[in-house]
Parts: sequence; structure tokens; C-alpha cells
Amino acid sequence: MEAIRNFPDSELVANLRSGQRMDDSVKAIYRSHFDSLSWYVLNNSGSREDAEDVFQEVVVNFIDLVQKDKFRGESTVKTFLFSLNRHIWLNELKRRGRALAREEKFEKGQERIEADTGHVIADREARKQVMKVVEELGETCKKILLLFYYENLSMKDILETLHYENEQVVRNKKYKCLKQLEQMFNEKPYLKQTLKNLLHE
Amino acid sequence: MNNSTPDMSEKLVQYIDGELTGAEKESIEQSLASDKALQDELQSLKATREAVRQFGLQQKVTAIHQQMMEEMTQPVKKLNSSRRIFRYSMAVAASLVLIIGGYMGLKFYTLSSQKVFASNYHSYELSTLRDGDTAQVSQVEKKYREKNYKEVTILFEKDADNSVKEIFLSAMSYVELGNNTKAIEGFKRVLAVNQAAGTNGMNDEAEYYLALTYIRNGDYDFAFELLRKINDDSQHTYHDKVGNKLIRQVKMLKWR
Repeated sequence: MEAIRNFPDSELVANLRSGQRMDDSVKAIYRSHFDSLSWYVLNNSGSREDAEDVFQEVVVNFIDLVQKDKFRGESTVKTFLFSLNRHIWLNELKRRGRALAREEKFEKGQERIEADTGHVIADREARKQVMKVVEELGETCKKILLLFYYENLSMKDILETLHYENEQVVRNKKYKCLKQLEQMFNEKPYLKQTLKNLLHE
Repeated sequence: MNNSTPDMSEKLVQYIDGELTGAEKESIEQSLASDKALQDELQSLKATREAVRQFGLQQKVTAIHQQMMEEMTQPVKKLNSSRRIFRYSMAVAASLVLIIGGYMGLKFYTLSSQKVFASNYHSYELSTLRDGDTAQVSQVEKKYREKNYKEVTILFEKDADNSVKEIFLSAMSYVELGNNTKAIEGFKRVLAVNQAAGTNGMNDEAEYYLALTYIRNGDYDFAFELLRKINDDSQHTYHDKVGNKLIRQVKMLKWR
């Protein structure tokens, strides 16, 4: 039914922002950019696995920035993804404690693009820890919260999907789940800043 | 830090969900302006909600990532020329893999929501009437029996007070007419009415046809959910119609 297809930048960004044709759009990013971005990681002491991890991180961050209106098309999608990719990978290298004089030299010429993305994304490791906390939440809670806050389904739709007695039951459950997750974060004060960064406020 | 009452917390959540209006909204905004602890709680709830969104996004990208890695990797490896027999047997094995893989790939790529819908869909037929019964049949039902689907939906839209059966038949008519949105709306109404009244009329039928309509409409997650439910429930009227094959096909469609 669906052929391999790519979108022009404007359409891609519009899709990601509205959440429509999300799957197709993410696939288009992979088809257009995975090879060149992973090449950068592979050529800067990274493994294939590193390249894949970093690319996933790039895609997640890019979609998030688009949805929060932080990508306004000042550069092409390609340039923007490339600087995200480099930023994330160099941070990772730094974290691993390798002194890579060559990369830093290479970096000097490109500080401008670096500055565009550097301040807007959360640290990769910290982000992983946040994800881990959500992962630890019970299955039902995760499902309700995801349907409501990620899929943007109405209470009525959730009621029909999960077969609860009535909307009020779902509403109470959702409230309890959110408070429970909030509590889990409160128990980890060191994640507070990361959470704040995620909000981009 | 957190010394607000549970009531207040609940209001805060409704506030960030955008569910408060008018006086309620104003009142909480006033409290927020003067109460530092409440402001902190608001921030912390917003951050928690954000973490959920990010988690959802991460899950989605991970799923697509795995799929794309399979699509994009082409294994290329050269064989040592001295290992002839090995090489030939590998060639045979490889062509087998190609044939089987090709067959499965073909199945995968020719699979479409329309095909899955068509191969499972049969028009819903009402049981035949005995002579004496004709008088009690509603206009909607009569038109449905005549397969005059357009007329069914017109009659249905005119009358605000339809029975569950009439709602169901009109939804079926919308399926026949190719209007997924209206059909889905109708089936969901049947389920909602039953749920509210604790009744069961046409419930199994509505679930089954709703699932099929979801497939035709590309709403695979919803379809999957329902089909699994029918498959799990051996008492369900359509239990036998929903096999593992159909469920597998919907799963595959989800990945397309």
C-alpha cells in the first residue's frame, strides 16, 4: 500500500508537529539521514551500536524540539540533525572519558551550529534515567498515562479501550497514576534538573 | 514541600489538563499566585506529564528503529574460494532463504488493510422472519433487509430515538456504504449504550464489526485490542471468526 517515500522538509516538520503520519515521517528521517549520520559516529571512534543509539536519540530529540516549536527552520533538517548527532556523540565520548584532540580541533570551526543545539537538549544519561523511572511504573498506569498524555485520547476513548466501568473510574485512576509517578520522581531529587530540561521552559 | 490537600492536587491536575474553565480556573490561578508550595507542585506535575510524553515518544522511535534497521541492513560477505562445497551448500541454503523470505516478504507487502477487511467481512444478515413477525419490524430494519443501506442511514439520522438494534443496523449500513467514521461512531454507540444500561444487545456483533472497520480505517491499535478480547473470550459470538491468523495480520499491518 505504501511505497518508500520521503517528504520535503516543510511537510516533514508539519507532520511531526501535528503527529499525523508520524510513522511514515520517522521512517523518512531514517531513509534520508541514517547513513550519513551514522557515518560520522563510525568515523569518530564509535561502533555500529553507538551509531544506532545516537541516531535514535537524535530522532527523539528532533521530534520533541519540533513539537515544542524549537525548530523554526533556520537551518535545513539535514544540518540540524547533523549538529544534534554530533553534539550527542561528542558528549557521549566526553562521558566515556576519552580525550579526542582531533575532534575538538574539528569542532572549533563549527561552533556556531553547535551552539544552536547544545543548550536545548537534555543530557543523554540523565534522560535514560528518567525513562527508567517511567518504565518502573505499573503496566496499567503506564498505559492510561500514555493513552492520555502521549496518544491524546479522550477519557471516553480510554474507557472504551480499557473497559473500565465509567469515565470517573478512569479519571481517578489516571490521577492516582500521575501522582504515583510524581512521587517516584520526588524520591530521586537528582533528576529534578533533567526533568526541568525536558520541559524546555 | 507538598502540603496541599488531595482535593487541591486533583484540581491542579485538571488545571494542567486544561479541563478547568471560568470560576474554577480563576480560583486555582489565584491560589497559585500566592502559594509557593502549590507552584512547586504544579511544576512537578507538569514535569511528570512531560516524562510520560517523552517515554511515549521514545517507545515509538525505538519500535520504528528496529523495523528500519531490518529494512536497511544488507549483509554482504565474501566467501573463501577454497571452500567450494561449503560455498555451494550455502548457495542452496541462501536460495531457499530467498524463496521463503521472498514468499513471506510478498505476503507482507501485498497485505493491506483493504484485503484483510475484505477477506473477513461478510454482510451482517438478520435472521429470516416468519409471516406473523413482519408487522413488528421497524422501518430501519425493513430497509436493511432490502439492502437499501442509503435509506437506512437517512431514516436513522432523522430519528433521535433509535433502539440499539437500529443503531447497529445503521452502523452496518455505513460500513456497506464505505463510511468508516460514521460506522465506527455507530458501533461505539451500541457498546456505550449497552455499557450504560448493563445490557448486551448486539454487543458481540458491534465489537466484531467495529474491529473490522477499524482495520479498514487503519486504526490497527484499536482493532488489535478488540480482536484480542474476542479471541480470549470463548463465549463471544464471534470467537471462532477471530483466529490467530487475523490477529497476526493486524499486527503486521501495524508495522507497515
